[in-house]
This record gives sequence, structure tokens and C-alpha cells, in this order.
Amino acid sequence: MDDRFKLSEKLYRAVYPPEKMSMFWRRDGSLSSAAFADPKGLSVDRGDHRPDMEVVCDMRKKFSGRIIYLYVKHCLATGAIVRYFPSGKNPYHSEIHGSETAVLLSKSQRLALSKRAVVIA
Amino acid sequence: MKYMRDAAMNMTLAKQADIRSNIKKYFDAAFEGQIIIVPRKQNKNVVILSEQEYNRLCQLARVSAYAGKMGQITRDGRQKTEKAVQGENDNRSDGILADNLRRLDQIADLKEDWNGNGAPAFPAALIDKVTELIRKLRIQPEIFPTALQTIQLEFDNSRHDHMELEIGEEDTVEIFIAPYQGMESFETLPFDASILNERIGAFYG
Repeated sequence: MDDRFKLSEKLYRAVYPPEKMSMFWRRDGSLSSAAFADPKGLSVDRGDHRPDMEVVCDMRKKFSGRIIYLYVKHCLATGAIVRYFPSGKNPYHSEIHGSETAVLLSKSQRLALSKRAVVIA
Repeated sequence: MKYMRDAAMNMTLAKQADIRSNIKKYFDAAFEGQIIIVPRKQNKNVVILSEQEYNRLCQLARVSAYAGKMGQITRDGRQKTEKAVQGENDNRSDGILADNLRRLDQIADLKEDWNGNGAPAFPAALIDKVTELIRKLRIQPEIFPTALQTIQLEFDNSRHDHMELEIGEEDTVEIFIAPYQGMESFETLPFDASILNERIGAFYG
């Protein structure tokens, strides 16, 4: 695994807060764009083409809350960039940033990504 | 919990045995807005949902029944029935307002680092400010917290256009409109209920 992402790679995110799991879900069951606003960068786990259930099991050891995924190609289509920031605890840790110079995703990017998000657990 | 979910409908399918061994988790999930479907033999399925969701569905059913009656009445009777439907719609708006006030209470309860990435808690002044605003809004939004220490109000009209109002501690409100077709737009308006009501009315008009 290196810092290159294939367009077909999935990026997984646990949507917090776990104790109030409906906080970011709209009445029609879709995810609000508000879930993608993070001034510190939107943390995700890269899939590295592992099976969904393997990723979910792995993430469940570290996170609670619902788990969604996005494709790298959908992030790039909004003008966002994906950065690989592995840590000792999490070799898959990555972040989605608004651009090369802005960490925060724009409102337009957040909305586009919320429409692309797929809930898997 | 072992289950299958339909994200679009916020539904969860769970086996009876799984419910039995995780009853608290399923009840909590229902309370948080999930609808749990329990398949049983001979299609004797049952559904678990919160009292709040049950009341909302009852209200919708009543409004729908009134709307159905409207098609059958005479001209003389039409005005009375329209008033009845309006009354039901007002009740429904009151129900959504009550839901939104509960949501603001939940947002107020969020502690520092509520998103696991250092998001700050929400100041009481901001919660009060948004509470006061939504009590004055003619159309109720959906309400969400952001990690920017702002509260996002979302509106969707029948043309499938989407509008977001982002409210922070400033005296202005950022508005983002994403029409179903056409260019997205941004504007900043003063934090004033009458001005915002007018803008929201134009969005739905």
C-alpha cells in the first residue's frame, strides 16, 4: 500500500456520534451533508480492495456508529483530494480534503459526497 | 447485531432470535429512528418502531384520509374540509417542530470531541438562538450539527431543490442552494427570522 489511490478504491467512514446514531440521517433515510464537515480533514479508512465485511469487522474494533463508504473517483469528481496518512494504530487511515490547499470540504463537495455515500453497517 | 439494512428507508431486518438476545440494542435503535422489521413464519411479520415515529405515521394517515375525502365533497363542504386538512397539517408541523426541539436538545448534549476528531461542544447561546429561530419559521427544516460548531438547517422543495442554512455565533446566516437543475448558489443574509422566512418562502414558492 502506498500513497496512490485507484479510482475504484473504497473509502470507509464511521459516522459519529455513536450514542445518537440518527443524528446525521434525514427523515427520508439519506445522509446529511453536515456529516462531511470537518475542519481537521474527513478521516476515512481506505479499503485497499479488501472485502466490505473485512473492513467493517476491522473498523468495528476501533469505531462505533454506522459505517458508510465512498469511492475515490466520486471524491475526485468533486475536486476533493484523498491523502494517505497511515498511523501506527491504523495503517489504512486517510483523509479527504477539499483541495490541495483547503482541508475543509466545501458545501458543494459535502452535498455531492453525501449523495454518493453507501451505508453498509 | 446481525441484520440487513435498507438505508434509503432507514429500515432494519432482524431475526426474532437476534432481537431476543439483543433487545435493548434494537429498542435503542428504534428509539433513534430505525424501523425494525421482524420476519416470522407464514408472513406474520411484526414491526418495531418508536412511539414518536408511530405518532408521526398516525398523523400522516389522518392527513391523507382527509385529503382523500376532499375529492368527494360538494363545493359547500369543501371549505370546511380544507380547514380540517389545514388543521391536520398544522398539527403535523407542530409535530416536526417538537422533533426539531428534541434534536436541538440532543445537539446541546453533545460533549467535546463528539465526532471522535476533536469537534467542539455547542454553546448554549447558539442552541437558544436556533431554538428561537425555528419556533418562528413557517416551514420546519431538518436540523444537523456540524463539526464547525454550527447548526445546519436543511430544506427540500417539491422540485427536488435543496437549501442549507448554516448558523453559527455570527449575526449572519450562510445559505447554500443546490437546485435539482442549474447552478448552485451561495448568499449571506442577516440572522433575522422575518428575512429568513421570506427567503425560505421564495425557495418553496
